[in-house]
Amino acid sequence: MRIAVSGMGIVSSLGIGVEANMVAIGREESGIVSESRFLPVSLAVPVGEVPFSNEELALRAGVGEYCVYSRTALLGILAVQEALADSGEGKSLRTGLVSGTSVGGMDRTEIFYADYLADPERGRLREVAMHDCAASTLAIVRHCGIEGYTTTVSTACSSAANAVLTAARLIRCGIADRMVAGGTEALSLFTLGGFGSLMILDKQPCRPFDADRAGLNLGEGAGYIVLQREDTLQKEPYAYLAGGANANDAYHQTASSASGEGCYKAMSDTLRKVGVAADKIDYVNAHGTGTPNNDLSESRALCRLFANKVPPFSSTKGFTGHTLAAAGGMEAVFSVQALHRGVICPNLNFSRPIEETGLIPVTERREAPLHYVLSNSLGFGGNCTSLLFSKD
Amino acid sequence: MCYIEAVATHLNLTHDIKEVVPDATLRRRMSRIVKMATATAFECTGGVPGIAELDAIVTATGLGCLADSERFLEQIHRTDGQMLNPTPFIQSTFNTVGAQIALLAGNHCYNMTYVHRGRSFESALTDAMLQLKEGDACRVLAGAFDESTPTQHHIMERMGFWRGAEDGEGAVFTLLTATATSNSIARISKVEFLPSPLSERQCREKYAAGSGTRVWRSLDKTVYPCCSAMRFAKAVEEIRKGAPEVVVYNDYFGKEPTIIVLQCL
Repeated sequence: MRIAVSGMGIVSSLGIGVEANMVAIGREESGIVSESRFLPVSLAVPVGEVPFSNEELALRAGVGEYCVYSRTALLGILAVQEALADSGEGKSLRTGLVSGTSVGGMDRTEIFYADYLADPERGRLREVAMHDCAASTLAIVRHCGIEGYTTTVSTACSSAANAVLTAARLIRCGIADRMVAGGTEALSLFTLGGFGSLMILDKQPCRPFDADRAGLNLGEGAGYIVLQREDTLQKEPYAYLAGGANANDAYHQTASSASGEGCYKAMSDTLRKVGVAADKIDYVNAHGTGTPNNDLSESRALCRLFANKVPPFSSTKGFTGHTLAAAGGMEAVFSVQALHRGVICPNLNFSRPIEETGLIPVTERREAPLHYVLSNSLGFGGNCTSLLFSKD
Repeated sequence: MCYIEAVATHLNLTHDIKEVVPDATLRRRMSRIVKMATATAFECTGGVPGIAELDAIVTATGLGCLADSERFLEQIHRTDGQMLNPTPFIQSTFNTVGAQIALLAGNHCYNMTYVHRGRSFESALTDAMLQLKEGDACRVLAGAFDESTPTQHHIMERMGFWRGAEDGEGAVFTLLTATATSNSIARISKVEFLPSPLSERQCREKYAAGSGTRVWRSLDKTVYPCCSAMRFAKAVEEIRKGAPEVVVYNDYFGKEPTIIVLQCL
C-alpha cells in the first residue's frame, strides 16, 4: 500500500502558510530576530518567533477574540487548517490527527505560575487549563472538524517525525484513510531557560554544520502534512512517504553519542525497510541544530551511512530556528516541497566545514530533479527518527 | 490482538532502586516518578537482559514528570531565568522514562511516548499491537505513569475536579508478544477509542463474548490520566484468577472514553 502526501500546512517565523515560507526561503531571508517581541521577559537571545501576537493568530484562525488558547494550539490550528484545505474534500474519508508537542501549553502555564507562586489562591485558572500536551491536539480537532483517531506524541525534538510514523501505521493497518501528522510548539520561558541552562543557545544567528557553530536558536511554529492511502486520492499528490524508522541513541539523556549511533540506525533502518540503496538519496534535510554536539554526531552518522559520498544536505534551522517538537513537521513540509519543486533549501550562515568530517552543506538555493529525500529529527532522550519521501 | 507475558505495577516492586539504577549520580538526579516508572519497567521485563531483548519501548503519560516541571518553572520565576540548574529541565521531558529504560540496557530499538490525556496508555497499547501485527516487533514493552504533586492537586481542586473523584498516581508496564508463548497469561483482543460514552449495559452488549464476561465501568473513584493502566493491570489479575474475559471501560472525568478487552488463553 502506498501512502501519499496530499496536503501541507506550516506556520513559522518566516510567515503563515507554505507559500510565504517558500518565498522567504527562495529569497534567503531568515526568520530569526535578535530577541522575542511577545515573551513576558526578554532573555536577549535570538529566536525564530512567529511575527504575530496571540490575538492576531486567533483572529486569523477564526477562533474568536476571547479565546484563551495556548499559542501552541493557535499555531497548530492554523497549520492544520491549511494542510486539510490543501488536501481537498474528504467527507467520505476517516480522517485523524497525530500531533507532536514537547511542552504543551507551557506558554500559558508559566504566566499562571508567576501569580501562583506569590499566592496559591491566585493565578487565573483558564491560563493553566491547556497545560497538558493533549489540550492543543484536542483544540485542533475541534476547530478543524477532525473526527477520526487522534493522539499526541511527545518525544522531544523528534515528536513530529514520530507523529508521521504513527499516522502512516494507522493508515496501513486500516484504522484511518487519511491522517494529518506533524507538530506544534510555542516559544516559552521554560524551553528558553532550559536550553540556556544547558549552555547551548547561540547569542548570534545559529550556524549549522559550521566549524565555529556555537549553539542553536529556539524557534516556534507548526508543520503538518496530510497522509492518505493512494486509492483515496482526489488529486495528484505532492509526493509519497516511502517509509521511516525510529531508533534510540541509548547514550545520554540529552547529549548525542560521538558516533551518532541512533541517527545512523534511524537512517539505515529506513533505507533497509524501504529497500532503497544509500546512493539513491538525492538530498538530506538534516536535523542540524547548530550545537557543537548535534552537528558533529549527525555528520559522523552521515559519513558512516553514505561511506563518505554524502549527498547534498542542508539544515533549515538557520531560517526557522529549532522549533523542537514542530521541527520534524516543518521539515517534512520543506522536504516534500524540495521534491515537488525540485529545489534544495540552502543552509544559512555556513563558512567553514567541521574539521573532523569536512562536510559542506548546500549553501545556495539549488535546482535539481530529486527523487528521494531523507529528513532527520533527533531529540533528547536519544530519540532519533528518519523519514524518507519519494517523488513517486 | 496480542499476548501478555507480564504485568508489573509500582505496587509490587521486588527490586531495590539501587539494583535498577546502579549509578548513584544518575539515581540522585532522577525524580520520584522517573525512579518509580523505571523500576516498574525493570520489574516487568525481569531486568537488563529482558530490556535488551525488546524490539520496541512504548511509554505513556498524561502529565509527565510534573515535579521536575514545577521545580524548573519555580527556578525561572525566582531567578529571572539566570543561572538555572538544568537537571529538572532535562528530567522534565515526557520521554524521560522511555529514554532511561533504553539507557539501562543500551537498547537502540524503537522508542516512543504518547501524551494524550486519558487515552495515553491506550495510544501506547495501540502502537504496540499494530507493530506486533505488522511484524515490525515480536516483543514490546508498553507502560504508563503519572505522578500526583501537591501543586497539581491544589490547582485541580481550585478547578473543581475532586467533587466525586479522588486523585491518584501510579506506574504500570506490560510485556506484549505477537504470538502466545509458554509464559503468556492473557490476550488483548481489543483496544478502542469510543466516539461517545457507553453505559455498563451498552459495554456488555457491544463487547462481551459471553455471560461470564466481567464488565468494569466506574471501578473506583480514582482519576488520573493513566489510571486506566492500573485497571488494565487489575483486569489481567482477574483473568489469572480464572475470569474468561474482562471488558474495561475508562474515561477521564467523563470524556474521551476507551475500551480494552482482555481474554483468557
